Amino acid sequence: MAELVGIYAASHGPLIVRKWNALSAECRHTIDTAFNELGRRINAARADVLIVISPDHWVNFFIDNLPAICVGVGETHDGPPEPWLAEFPHKQMVGHAPLAQHIVEHAFTRGFEPSISYKLALDHGFCVPLWKAGVAPMPAIVPVVLNTVEPPFPSVRRCFEWGTVLRDAIAGFAGNTRVAILASGGLSHSIGEATMGAIDEAFDRECLQHFASGDRDTLFDFLDQRMAAAGNGTAEVRNWVAAHGAATACGFDLIHYSAIADVYVGCGFASWNAFKKI
Amino acid sequence: MRDYWLSKLFFDLQNPAAAAEYRTGPEAVLARYPLKPEVRAAVLANDVAALAPLVNPYLLRFYFLVANMPEEEFVRQIRATARATGERQHG
Repeated sequence: MAELVGIYAASHGPLIVRKWNALSAECRHTIDTAFNELGRRINAARADVLIVISPDHWVNFFIDNLPAICVGVGETHDGPPEPWLAEFPHKQMVGHAPLAQHIVEHAFTRGFEPSISYKLALDHGFCVPLWKAGVAPMPAIVPVVLNTVEPPFPSVRRCFEWGTVLRDAIAGFAGNTRVAILASGGLSHSIGEATMGAIDEAFDRECLQHFASGDRDTLFDFLDQRMAAAGNGTAEVRNWVAAHGAATACGFDLIHYSAIADVYVGCGFASWNAFKKI
Repeated sequence: MRDYWLSKLFFDLQNPAAAAEYRTGPEAVLARYPLKPEVRAAVLANDVAALAPLVNPYLLRFYFLVANMPEEEFVRQIRATARATGERQHG
């Protein structure tokens, strides 16, 4: 059976790339150091497939039809369409249709009905962490779009449960495939709203403590009460919660956290060490 | 509630070719969208406060990047919406 070999999370603020040359040397060093360690861990896991959980920032979906969860089941995915990501080295990325289809089929047995897409473009949410972390060789990518951009959003508990679905789907996938999960987004940030640029560092640090404690109900209650007030981008913490679910709330290891005002994001980087339980 | 056609305009302008056309002549592009007159006027006036309640915040931000509003100006205007809201609430 397939093996879950790693679970990771990272922020993906666009200014990390778009404003890179304007950032201070200290800021660039902080970001580089965190991403380098994340990349070292991802590459060491030697995953054949990387499931990347990210929002879609209005690239594939519009308010005509906005899925809560969409699994990319295509043989390939397009690289990022954002002009400022033109130098991203992959214009196309290889998918893993069999695992993606298996995840979808398993989900339908578990009370989830994700939508599917045979052709996704992977925006900065997917590609900034892969690029900045230096993930190489690039595994096959199974993109999972989790809507954290336009309400209504899946509940925190539902996102955790989705993570357990991913974990169990991997465990039931035939073959010797090595699979890892990367959650992209968060922590607190505010974009295009009245608090634009604000970072709620107190929220972020308490949130990280709840991930580390493994007390899932306390984490859920905290996020239910505080997440919405910490900025619209903070909704992306749901992706971390899905990763936490895949790890069954065990083994959280914070790589780095900094509230980086110049990129508007409370930047967090983490991995979970719970995957050996499978 | 979102304004569908304003959202659609901002969504479509993520396409670089559409953005280039818009920068050259916004009126011709706007003519293809059945915007309410007051919404169209707010677009042409770069009125962040008027547009903010009508669209997703990410699309709002994308639009003003396309419209070449300096980042500092956008941040100043969007933050001012909080003060305006607060003043209305406190009367």
